[in-house]
This record gives sequence, C-alpha cells and structure tokens, in this order.
Amino acid sequence: MDILEKLTILTEGAKYDAACTSSGAQRPGQKGLGNTLKAGCCHSFSADGRCISLLKVLQTNYCVYDCKYCVNRVSNEVVRAAFTPAELAELTIQFYRRNYIEGLFLSSGVHINPDHTMEQMIKTIELLRYSYNFGGYIHAKTIPGAAPELVQRLGLAADRLSVNIELPSEASLKLLAPHKSKQAILKPMAQIRDGQSENKQDLIKYRHAPHFAAAGQATQMIIGATPESDYQIMKLAFGLYKQYALKRVFYSAYIPAVEDNLLPACDTKPPLLREHRLYQADFLLRQYKFTVDEIISEQTPNFNPYLDPKCNWAINNMQYFPVDVNKACLEELLRVPGIGPVSARRIITSRRHSKLGLPELKRLGVVLKRARYFILAADLPVGLKSDKESALKALLDPTIHSLGVEQLTLFDTTQGEWALPPAVTIDGLGLTATN
Amino acid sequence: MALADIIKQTSDKGYLYDGGLAGFFCCVYESVYQRELPYGIYAKYSHEPCLLPLKHIYTDISKAGKVRASIPKKISARALQMVENVFLSCLEERELALLRFLLLGYSEGSNITKQWGRAEIAPLLAAERHLWGECHLLQGFVRFSDHQGVLIAVISPKNYVLPYIAGHFINRYSSENFMIYDKTHQAALIYHDRRQDIIPVQDIEFPALAAEEEEYRELWKCFYHTVAIEERANPRCRMTHMPKRYWENMTEMHDLL
Repeated sequence: MDILEKLTILTEGAKYDAACTSSGAQRPGQKGLGNTLKAGCCHSFSADGRCISLLKVLQTNYCVYDCKYCVNRVSNEVVRAAFTPAELAELTIQFYRRNYIEGLFLSSGVHINPDHTMEQMIKTIELLRYSYNFGGYIHAKTIPGAAPELVQRLGLAADRLSVNIELPSEASLKLLAPHKSKQAILKPMAQIRDGQSENKQDLIKYRHAPHFAAAGQATQMIIGATPESDYQIMKLAFGLYKQYALKRVFYSAYIPAVEDNLLPACDTKPPLLREHRLYQADFLLRQYKFTVDEIISEQTPNFNPYLDPKCNWAINNMQYFPVDVNKACLEELLRVPGIGPVSARRIITSRRHSKLGLPELKRLGVVLKRARYFILAADLPVGLKSDKESALKALLDPTIHSLGVEQLTLFDTTQGEWALPPAVTIDGLGLTATN
Repeated sequence: MALADIIKQTSDKGYLYDGGLAGFFCCVYESVYQRELPYGIYAKYSHEPCLLPLKHIYTDISKAGKVRASIPKKISARALQMVENVFLSCLEERELALLRFLLLGYSEGSNITKQWGRAEIAPLLAAERHLWGECHLLQGFVRFSDHQGVLIAVISPKNYVLPYIAGHFINRYSSENFMIYDKTHQAALIYHDRRQDIIPVQDIEFPALAAEEEEYRELWKCFYHTVAIEERANPRCRMTHMPKRYWENMTEMHDLL
C-alpha cells in the first residue's frame, strides 16, 4: 500500500476528532527544524470551515474495541492500514518544511493492546523529536488502559496530551463503549495533571529539566449520541476544568457514521447549533468569568437556540443593566452583550484619557447593535428607554439560520421553555436527546 | 502659528517625496517649519500628474533624523512604532493621516496614542491591526516549494509584511535556505547561510517542479480534502477565515479558484 492510500485511510479515521489547536506552548527555534507559538497558528481551513493546524492522522485504524459510535470499531468493515513510525515521521517533516502544518496530531486505534499501540505512537514521536530534532507542535492522544510509564514517556516528547472522555456520562459509556471505563479514562488524566505540577516544580529547581506536556491536556466528548442535557454537559466540563486543570474541553456534534439501534438514525443531522451553544458557554466559563449556574439551570436544562448564552443571561437579568462604560469594572463590562474581552480592555485604557460616547465605542470595536440596550455612555446618560422585545430583536442570533432552525416563534415563548430544534430520537432508549 | 493650528487649514500645496520613511520624515519637517498642511503627500512612483502645485521634498538624512528623534521625545516610543507600522500598511493616504497624527501628538503629548476611540487615531490603529492581521494569517498561509533544497514561496499581500514575518520564518527554518517573494511590492526576503536580506526584485521565473515536490503536493491536497467532514460543509465559514485573495498562492486551494 503506498503512502497516499495510507494517508487517505488514516485521515478518514481521524477526522472526527474535533481538536486541532496548536496553542499553549512557546518554544523558540533551536538547532533543528521548527518552533511553536503560544497562540498557535492555523495553516488552512477545510471545506467544513474548521481550521487545519496539525497533520491529524491515526497511527493505525486497526482496533480491537467495538465502540458503537466509532468508524474504526472492529465490527465495522473498513479498509485497515498502519503507518510505520519512519513513514509518518518523514511525512510530518516534509509537510512542516513546506509550511503546510504546525506539527503532528497523533491518535490511534487500539491495535493488539493499549501498550503496544502506545509504543508505536511513542516510536513515531521520539523519532521526530530526537532523530529529526523536530521543534514543532505535537499533540498525542493517550490510549486508555496503557501503562503509566508509557504516558510519562509520551508526555516528555509531546506538547499536549489528551484523553477523550468520549461521552458525557458513565451510563452512556457503558452502553456505547463497553470496553472503556470511566476509571480507565480518568486515571491517565490525573497522571498528566500530577506530572505537570511536578514538572513545574522541577523547572523552578532545574532550568533545563525536560518539559512534560508543556501545552497541557485537553479532552473531547461527543454531543447528541446520548440523552444528556446541556446542563449535565456543562457541569461535567466545569468539573473537568477545575479538577483536572484541562486547557480545553472540545464538543463534537455526533455525525452518524454507523448503523446501530442504540444510536440516532443514520439520516440524523449533526446537532451543530447545540455544539455551537456549548462552545459559547464554554468560553463564558473560561474567559468571561461566568459560573455554570448563571448560564444554565436544572429547570431549563438546555440552551436557548435563538439567543446565545450571554445574551440569554442579560435578557433574564435586566436588573444589572444599564452599565456605565465610563465607570464599570472589567467584570461588569464583560457581561454586556456586544462587548468582548478585547473591546472591554480597550474601553478601560482609553476612558482614562477622555469620556467615551457612542461613536468612540463603535471605533473601539463594540457591537452597538446589541450593546446599546445595556449601556450608559457620555452621550447616552440615562440609557436607552427600551422594552424587552426590541432588545430581544437585536440580540437574536443570526447564525441560527445558517445552522438550520426554521421560522421562529420567539416572543411569547422565551419565559419558560422554548421551541427547540428538531429533537434527536434514540430508538433503543425511547428518549429524546435534546429534551 | 501654534502646531495644533496647522491642521485646521489645508494649504494649496501638495508634497512629492521619494516614497521612503526618511523622505516622509522630511515632509513632516517641511510641514512643521513652513507651518502648512499639504492637501496631499505623494510618493514619486505612484503619483499621477495633477494640476495643483506640487513641492518636491528632497530627502535629507539629517532632517529625517531630527524628526525621527523628536517623536519618542515629544510624544512617545509607541507613537514612533505606530508611524513605522502604519507607513508600511495599505491605508489610503497614509502619509497625510500620519502627518495629522504627528502634529496632534506634538501639541498634545503621549496621551494621544491611548485615545483609541478618537476619529483621528482609530483609522491608524485599524490600519496597524490590518497589517498585523495579515502577518498572522500569512504565517500560516505561506506555502513553500522545494527547489533542490531551497524553499521558495510566493505571496501577494496588501500590506508590506516582509519585515514583520521574517523573524518568524527565520526562527522556524533556521537551518534551511529559503526565499519569500512578495509579488505586490516586488520584493523578496532571502535567507541564505544564516544571513537575511530583503531586496527589491523584478519579475522572476522559478524552475520547474521536481517529481518529489509534486508528490508531496499531491499528498497534501489529498489530506486537505479528506480531513473535511462532508456533513458539516460550510464554505462561507471557510471563506471568512481564509479570504479568497490568499488562495492563488496556496497549494491546496489553487485548483478550487
């Protein structure tokens, strides 16, 4: 089998992994080839609009597991292939030299057993790091159930490690991925967390101590294959950020790849809007200092499809507004719809020198269409006398049209439950996934 | 006449200068000491003849040096940075906008660079961001081809980005020899034997591609098309992140144009 064919097969198997970030590690170029950037770098964008930053492939798509949702499961009839470590290392280097990619994102099916699989991955990565002196970014998936020594070795050679949590609850895991247990997933996560904090102390003592997973760890879960609510998912994500010091949690809308009576039907559309709302909420947690209970509650356990979570919070908490842009602190500014982290910081710097009015705010990058209902400015001293309805109209999320929600019946339903996009039904369980 | 008053009235003179930063500083010198605001400042190479009178501003290194030194002293180091960045950006009539900015700055001091909402400052900052934004995108979108061991890339940016992206690529490919050719500004960054230079270049022709190079291009295109998830197709989103004007120089996008 030639390289082109292998590349096709092993990319096909890896493409459903959501993460393709190359951020978190700053390493200047050294003797060999390559460096990494703190902010990461996108090299291209594929036809689905997702960034291509790393060469995202599997070491092999041979797999002994039979996870129901996965294209590479043992009972699925697909062509199987495997890269040898030398082939994959050479391909990575040649792509990197041409500036096609920022590095390698290596995952794998479980061939023979977890340890054997990890050894193959480590061979590839160590070949790159120590023989080619490759200084670019490497993101590696750890295989649940592999020996701790192997995780340690992988972490010393890679920039970022990740363990996929796969599904948002243990019950779903048991049902759809019977070979993987919560325990086997959380154990390496804890090991990576502890390894990192140990490494931080080592680096203080010894300047040249080797870095262990310098860019931290991430995880991903599949959304829409099982019946968990957004509330449960956000709670889980928040817990992971806190307890395992994760850098990112990725959400991946389930795309039916295999027919199984435990899974949504094959003609189900991927819940892209829901995934989008989860990412928005995720950012509110990490960058806007919101807590889970502020943006979603057990009573309304799913996100409003018509408003993004920040606008939804603002509309339901009008008592905190209007906010005076010439006086408010950073946290207050961040909560105004239409003001983000960048424009909030710009406001704080420039208001020291002159009072800000609406034209100034516009030049600073504030989206006045949304913000005007929630602020006081130099030329808007008493705020806009607004009713909820006109504010709502301005906040309505335009992306819902492109993501396929039909005509809206909004203004009378926002108080309690809202009309949700078509629910995903799971035949075997008699449940609906978005309800 | 106070410096701040110069801005209030446009004179009937335009300036013509050599197009370099030193030349521009001489225009500033002329404006300040003649107490006049030109209706336009034009670089010789881009100027189209017009009926209004034009003053030729000759580049005098000592005058330019004085103006350059005055900026950090009377305004701030950041102001000098801004002038240098905006001068290389693609802002329309940037020379005049910069002259107005400097005249304001001389009379108001260092606060001027932090008043990001002011009408005179915001466009300059936007131009600077546009330049940085393009540099950031190009760090990813530059595509090299291997010509017998030398890496060659062609770009056609709107801003003059070469000095800004040079550091990144030299750091990344410190052991390689490479060249980035800027088609728009007819200039090339050359890095050879660990020495770098940006030189003006007229049209150049590149040798035909080697078989190995063709092979890696095919592999890359194959990866690019395979990694996209069909069910999530979203061409609008792709275009937002990767504007079409970059496609002509990108191996994997070239065929889609």
